[in-house]
Amino acid sequence: MELLLWLAVPGLPNAFTMLGSAMLLSGFAALVIAGLLGLVKIIVRAMLDYFSAKQRAQRRLWFVQARQDQVKRLFYFKTQQIKYFSELNRKRLLKLNNRKHIRSLSKAIDKDLLSIKPKLPETTYQQLQRDNVRFRKQQDIESLLKLQQKISTIV
Amino acid sequence: MTILKSWVVNIVNLFHSVKDENLKWQQANQDAQAKLKHARVLAEKALEAELKKKSVKLEHDINLLKTKHDAELSMFKTKCKQDIKDYKQYLASLDQLKASIQASYIHLPEAVAFTIHHHAKYLLNKMWEAEDFEQKMQHEMQLIRFMTTVHEDARLHLEGATTENLPERTLNLIQQQ
Repeated sequence: MELLLWLAVPGLPNAFTMLGSAMLLSGFAALVIAGLLGLVKIIVRAMLDYFSAKQRAQRRLWFVQARQDQVKRLFYFKTQQIKYFSELNRKRLLKLNNRKHIRSLSKAIDKDLLSIKPKLPETTYQQLQRDNVRFRKQQDIESLLKLQQKISTIV
Repeated sequence: MTILKSWVVNIVNLFHSVKDENLKWQQANQDAQAKLKHARVLAEKALEAELKKKSVKLEHDINLLKTKHDAELSMFKTKCKQDIKDYKQYLASLDQLKASIQASYIHLPEAVAFTIHHHAKYLLNKMWEAEDFEQKMQHEMQLIRFMTTVHEDARLHLEGATTENLPERTLNLIQQQ
């Protein structure tokens, strides 16, 4: 500056600063444009790659594979379902059968109780009868058998 | 000024020589480059074709698998239904067992008959719930032995061969197990 001032050329420093800033700005602009162009190029290339025949075939293969897995899983769950329902059915049959036989056992206990009624105090008789009904309702086999044993020992 | 000019000329010459080199190299390797490009395209095409073939095959497999699964499922369903029917029959035959032993031992306490029947049911359930075939067979043998023992007891008592009031052999068997 001093030198230029000394050279006494007015206006030259201003021109130089203008030139400098213009160059700086154009340099930046060039960088930004280059960057944007590069970005666009990368995007276009990625898109082309994504929609290329190879990639499409690959994706289709993956899709089909996933469907195969799904079919296999579905089969497994269907068998599980059938098993579950058949087991449920069996349990229902067993329960029905159990109930039938428990009822007959309870009836037999009732008969036994009735036959020894005169020998028992009223409260004991009622208690035993109530137990019988309760155990029958609970489907409690062990307790019913025990009750029967108790009654037979009383006799 | 002349120095600067020669400088510029030098640089331009250098630039041109580099371009010449590049051109020469490209000329020399044009065939190889073309071949490479061609090979790459071919490889890509081959890969794509292979993938497509795989997809088609897989789809075909899926269709086969589906029909197979359908068949298996329906078979399994009928098998389960048959199993339930068998189970029902087993229960009925156990009921019959109870009835027959009650018919032959007239004074048999209901509790004993119930215990016998219950034990038979227990064996049946064990057989049903066994995981592997061998265990199943074992339990089935047990059940059959038990049933035959009960029938035998009933028969002997009906024929008057024994004077016991209770089916002792059956009760022994229950206690053993």
